[in-house]
Amino acid sequence: MTFTLTRRAVVGKMALAAMLPAIAASPLSAIAATSTPKPTPEEPATAALLHTAFPHARLDAAFYSGAAGRYLAEIAKDPAAMAEHRRGLALLDGSYIAPFAQLPEMVRRSMVARYDQEPFFKALIWRGAELIYRDAAVWKMVGYEGSSVEYGGYIERGFDDIDWLPAAGGAK
Amino acid sequence: MTQFSLDDSSVFVVIGSGAGGGVLGNELAQKGHKVVCLEAGRRLEMSDIVNDEAEMFGKLTWLDRRMATGKPDPNFPVWGCKTVGGTTMHWTGACPRFEPHEMRARTTYGALPDTTLVDWPVTPEEIAPWYDKAEVRMGVTGRQGMPFLPPGNNFKVLEAGARKCGYTDIDTHNMAINSIERDDRPSCHQLGFCTSGCAVGAKWSTLYTEIPKAEETGRFELRPECMVTGIELGPDGRVSGVTYLHQGKRVTQKARAVAVAGNVVETTRLLLNNSSDRHPQGLANSSGLVGRNYMRHFTIQVMGVMPGKVHFHRQTHLAGVVRDERGHRPERGFAGGFLISTVPFTPEILAKNMIIGGWGRDLTEVLDKYDQLAGMLLTGEDPPQLSNRITLHPTERDGYGLPVPVIHYEDHPNTIAMKEYAWKAGRRIYEALGAENVIEMGDYIPATHNMGTARMGDDPRASVCTPFGRTHDVANLYIADGSLFPTAGGCNPTLTIVALALRQAQHIDREVAAGRL
Repeated sequence: MTFTLTRRAVVGKMALAAMLPAIAASPLSAIAATSTPKPTPEEPATAALLHTAFPHARLDAAFYSGAAGRYLAEIAKDPAAMAEHRRGLALLDGSYIAPFAQLPEMVRRSMVARYDQEPFFKALIWRGAELIYRDAAVWKMVGYEGSSVEYGGYIERGFDDIDWLPAAGGAK
Repeated sequence: MTQFSLDDSSVFVVIGSGAGGGVLGNELAQKGHKVVCLEAGRRLEMSDIVNDEAEMFGKLTWLDRRMATGKPDPNFPVWGCKTVGGTTMHWTGACPRFEPHEMRARTTYGALPDTTLVDWPVTPEEIAPWYDKAEVRMGVTGRQGMPFLPPGNNFKVLEAGARKCGYTDIDTHNMAINSIERDDRPSCHQLGFCTSGCAVGAKWSTLYTEIPKAEETGRFELRPECMVTGIELGPDGRVSGVTYLHQGKRVTQKARAVAVAGNVVETTRLLLNNSSDRHPQGLANSSGLVGRNYMRHFTIQVMGVMPGKVHFHRQTHLAGVVRDERGHRPERGFAGGFLISTVPFTPEILAKNMIIGGWGRDLTEVLDKYDQLAGMLLTGEDPPQLSNRITLHPTERDGYGLPVPVIHYEDHPNTIAMKEYAWKAGRRIYEALGAENVIEMGDYIPATHNMGTARMGDDPRASVCTPFGRTHDVANLYIADGSLFPTAGGCNPTLTIVALALRQAQHIDREVAAGRL
């Protein structure tokens, strides 16, 4: 029942994990594994909304569609959340001659600014932040390296490798 | 495995297994006393600790329902942990001592309006040897011969900028993280993820230090997943036992004495929810102060987009400190002071912190330069206010059927003034190194620094506990967590909780020897 932590146990754990390449980051798997079965009517506007809220030049339209699909699949289990989301999309779609997803980015931004205190939008960006920034492909893009214990941490992998600071003692 | 009978009235019952309860329980067992430690959370194995913030948040955090009024986010008004080891699983390991002037807050700061500032009933001289013992026990770096941890990237940025600003009291801080192999635990591997539980056990946590050591004595029984709901009193007015829920069943353990160390919210709830004819305002609450003077340090952040790569996720969370703003210098426009230390964020947590302030390019331009980010945490003293308090909701109940705690908190004007100053001080540090962009972030997410709701003092009308943490009202009921703090100081509370627990264990041992317990 009880365990006593020994150095050996720790080292053993690291070695075991290092032998399992599946644990190491495989950048595109998160997206590939979770692509939506079939697009729903809400997907284009939801994807455009996520793109407007979290615009990254290095992420393509398929990425935002994938995230939108996952979000919609989640809220499909909660009728109240889906109804609120649809209400929000109707606000965004109803104000212009073109649907929200087809508007130029600048117009989309001003539309979202008008509705960014609405519950549908707050719910979307909170969960959207998780769907986007928990994705291994995004980690790789921004330079976040994730779980380190299987590699023995960062002690031998650059925890102190900064090279652009003024030399020590150079302070005024 | 030691097991005590539920009828054994010679056992000490300790409620909670974190910094206060884990240390007190072990110390009592080492001194020859029998201890039952009741913990609401699960007992994790080392293999349960993974480098995944979201997963570990779910495993470590107290997620039963809480409500809030005032400033806190009603969805997450207070942070505590529900796991064997308590917040010692989540903490960063920072071990600053209270400064003497902070323990004499009323004398040093004078009469601050709308506060209940007092001097501690324990003097700095009296607590000093207990700090020494706590530092030895926890292996605190830079103390008692323990080497400092090596400087890493995020700290090097902080240090270089701080020196340009004229600060000088800077190092990798006094940390309860092994800088060398010690105590059958490895040295720090710079994993990052400190606040998700240390996967190699380099950071001191009672889960794999105090608790197994206590079990080795044969006089200590840990009972995880036991949620205490009642403290029973005998006809003599003394505590006779403790009632808890375990797997849906109600169980009562007899006790010689009881120490409550549930972190501030749960300690308060247990006392307030146990009212009786003898204790109409809640147990040990003749002063009316249980739940009042709730304090939490502000924890604001400043992020800098630096001119080169930093990779701030590649090291311990709290990787170093600047102490120069800790002192009391009223010319800055506030009483007390604050510490400047480092903090990293994962992309997800950074995004969540930033979307409170806005969405769009302001957010993603920072995230696109994630590997150039340096981050600092500014943590300052919070003066006690009677109106900041924890109460029980009259009708709402949680999954245990217990009244939901309601957290009420507002910043004191002194805190607001200190935060404004601290943001500017932090911004200056990164700008001194040519930061492309500096982002100030608020204290949206509370620290686990909860304090003050059962304050120690000499006067039973103005405090809940004696200077040894025994309640004034009940002769064999003790408090052993941050609830005891009369004031908050400008530093992380854990080392002081441990020092007070060690001191309390000696006091209890002497009371037993004297035939009073």
